[in-house]
Amino acid sequence: MFHWLEKHPFFFAVGVFLVIAFAGLVEILPNFAQASQPVVGTKPYTLLEMAGREVYIKNSCNACHSQLIRPFKAETDRYGHYSLSGEYAYDRPFLWGSKRIGPDLHRVGDYRTTDWHENHMKDPAGVVPGSIMPAYTWMFTNLADINTAYADQLTNAQFFNVPYNKPVPMKDGTTLTVPMAKSVAEANAMALEEAKTISADMKDKDVQDMVAAGKIPEIVALIAYLNSLK
Amino acid sequence: MDIFQLQGYAYFGLVTLMVVILYSYIYHLYSSEKKGTKDFEKYGNMALNDEIDDAPVEKISKDEKK
Amino acid sequence: MENRPLEYDYTVAKMFMLTTVLLGAVGMLIGVILASEMAFPGVNTMLGSLGLNEFTNFSRLRPLHTDSVIFGFTLSGIFATWYYVGQRVLKVSMAESKLLMFLGKMHFWLYILVVAAAVVSLFMGITSSKEYAEFEWPIDIAVVVVWVTWGLGIFGLIGIRRERSLYISIWYYIATFLGIAMLYLFNNMEIPTILATSPAGETGIGAWYHSVSMYSGTNDALVQWWYGHNAVAFGFTVPIVAMIYYFLPKESGQAVYSYKLSLLSFWGLMFVYLWAGGHHLLFSTVPDWMQTMGSVFSVVLILPSWGSAINMLLTMKGEWQQVATSPLIKFMVLASTFYMFSTLEGPIQAIKSVNAIAHFTDWIVGHVHDGTLGWVGFMIMAALFHMAPRVFKRELYSKSLMGTQFWIQTLGVVLYFTSMWIAGITQGMMWRAHDEYGNLAYSFIDTVTALHPYYTIRAVGGLLYLIGFFMFAYNIYKTMTSGRRVEESELQSASPMAA
Ligand code: HEM
Ligand code: HEM
Repeated sequence: MFHWLEKHPFFFAVGVFLVIAFAGLVEILPNFAQASQPVVGTKPYTLLEMAGREVYIKNSCNACHSQLIRPFKAETDRYGHYSLSGEYAYDRPFLWGSKRIGPDLHRVGDYRTTDWHENHMKDPAGVVPGSIMPAYTWMFTNLADINTAYADQLTNAQFFNVPYNKPVPMKDGTTLTVPMAKSVAEANAMALEEAKTISADMKDKDVQDMVAAGKIPEIVALIAYLNSLK
Repeated sequence: MDIFQLQGYAYFGLVTLMVVILYSYIYHLYSSEKKGTKDFEKYGNMALNDEIDDAPVEKISKDEKK
Repeated sequence: MENRPLEYDYTVAKMFMLTTVLLGAVGMLIGVILASEMAFPGVNTMLGSLGLNEFTNFSRLRPLHTDSVIFGFTLSGIFATWYYVGQRVLKVSMAESKLLMFLGKMHFWLYILVVAAAVVSLFMGITSSKEYAEFEWPIDIAVVVVWVTWGLGIFGLIGIRRERSLYISIWYYIATFLGIAMLYLFNNMEIPTILATSPAGETGIGAWYHSVSMYSGTNDALVQWWYGHNAVAFGFTVPIVAMIYYFLPKESGQAVYSYKLSLLSFWGLMFVYLWAGGHHLLFSTVPDWMQTMGSVFSVVLILPSWGSAINMLLTMKGEWQQVATSPLIKFMVLASTFYMFSTLEGPIQAIKSVNAIAHFTDWIVGHVHDGTLGWVGFMIMAALFHMAPRVFKRELYSKSLMGTQFWIQTLGVVLYFTSMWIAGITQGMMWRAHDEYGNLAYSFIDTVTALHPYYTIRAVGGLLYLIGFFMFAYNIYKTMTSGRRVEESELQSASPMAA
């Protein structure tokens, strides 16, 4: 049998394929159903948060920051409760990262504020002396892509049944509904409302002027996202 | 039987199967060489005598090629 | 014309040799920039006056480094050697089939298009965020086309071969083709957002190239590292083993030490590798038993890996003087040594308690680069050195330059991985240190500033490696343009080199 395989490239290839494929099948498939159940308190991303998540991805923040707190004392002391599988149920893609050049951000919303992020993104070493993080100054002028974030929300709702406009259970026993716009125009108006609540806590004059003029710089969306990480 | 149990059995069965295949392959390699039905080491020469006009280690014959 | 003897046709191999050198230089240059940015953050904003900060900062550049060295340098090297080795061990020339020639050229030009699109999109920040799978769906589709073209070429060539059995290298190339095909397809499953419709009936909203991953959270991570680990397997191990099984015996004139062992290692590797992906997700939220399996199989993985490496070293048995005299053999012997080294280090890092310290630190980056610089980089350069005299019909330009390059780069690799080891372990220990009251002993920034000296050493090591790579490029260029012309008879085994 073996000898025969060596001389018949086609069946040989089939053999190789079977050998390498079966691990994947047994290993991955059965866990799919289970792992994607959200835990109580996990809610879908709002429009501005989604736009901010895209800014995070666009600049590969995940190259330096993890979003995965491992169950060790040292980690939970530093970053908070260890991460649970269900907390990521609405993360497409996942952003766990593989390297901590900077600290973990999975619960950064618990201990940093809008104000802190604003200063830090503009001049990291000014806020944390010795930091090697680059300054992300262009985020204060580039505009966030709200339309794409909206399309992202729609895709999540239509293809993956992410519960927008539906009540989701919260930890304190109440429910919360994350609204989703009905049209592009409504989406932009909604994002702007959200942006105003963020920029109200910011000091940068230009950012405030932009938001007042109906424009949303990337930094505002990014901070909305970072604040949502809890 | 829930899916995880099934997964466990599938995993165990497949690994056992692979191990059996791998070991019988080892057996095949060494026994067929001992019996003299096969010389595997000659294939090593495929890399050394690889000019286009060198004689192939094992020629492909027309009737065998489908 | 009709009576001209049949020859191997290296047109496509030459094209890919060119991209191997070019993309390697670009990718490693970016690597050195990244390394400097970590040591001296000011480098991030060096081009600030031109308004280019957005494109030169660490995080935007990092995917460009990984993708250009993996999908540029390494993949080109794999293609270049395939179009060379494939013909030779199957004993059939690409000139014998117009179709295969056409496919080969098409393969190259499509590849160039994809590379261009990938570079532009990554600079613009268009990325799916998944490591080594950053491209968005339009590029993913193009990648599939390139891959299928290559596959048709492989099986086409095999179909018209004169040699009945497939040499072990061919097995590894086939496995590379199939493995990557499967992994890439599954990991990049995504839904383009233009397919969504708003309740008001609007379609095609937002950026057309954007997409949403088919998998979410933990599942996404599981698939990604099943991919990530095996992309390493089928990109950095399997095809490189294919190369060394051909080039080392050929260059040294010694047949593989044990052909049977090579067959065994092949199946062993195929079987074990896929299970080991779990070691990237230890202590994460993926199921426990899977993490444990990831660990166990990672340790078992030493066997087939060392099977190949030892086979290579034993091939040199009784011929060790060649290592001393030929820089080309030196490159390959050091490559297999580094292969043994990183396949020993990898399983150690996969042990749960070790991984608890190593994960997220620079130790992993050290492991990555002793594998890639020492094993992948050295082997691909050696393969090109061996091919150059044969495809250009000229003598290698300078043996002494090769020798110097070898030592400079070896020093570079050693500086790189030793500094990253120390950095990684230092950082891992500092993160977990508690003082006598049970409080964390260090703030995060302490663990960053502590690494400055090691980052500096790494940048120097990387620079040395890059300098060596430029020497390599120069040597190949000079061989191509002004090496002494050689006869077929000089090309039997050891490559001709001018002092
Ligand atoms: C027996 C063989 C090997 C085993 C068991 C192994 C194991 C590992 C482990 C445990 C990690 C760290 C995962 C983490 O904690 O983040 C890792 C990362 C890595 N290894 Fe290996 N390794 C092996 C061989 C190699 C070789 C030969 C290369 C390349 C030439 C290589 C390239 C990489 C890369 C690129 C990563 C980084 C992935 C990432 O985080 O982005 N490995 N490997
Ligand atoms: C001149 C040579 C090189 C230098 C200076 C260099 C430098 C770097 C730096 C600074 C990083 C980022 C590490 C971090 O995030 O902390 C990196 C990542 C990486 N490099 Fe290189 N690199 C070089 C060559 C290569 C080559 C030749 C390859 C592959 C063939 C390679 C593959 C990678 C990979 C896979 C990663 C990601 C590692 C991970 O995610 O853990 N590099 N490199």
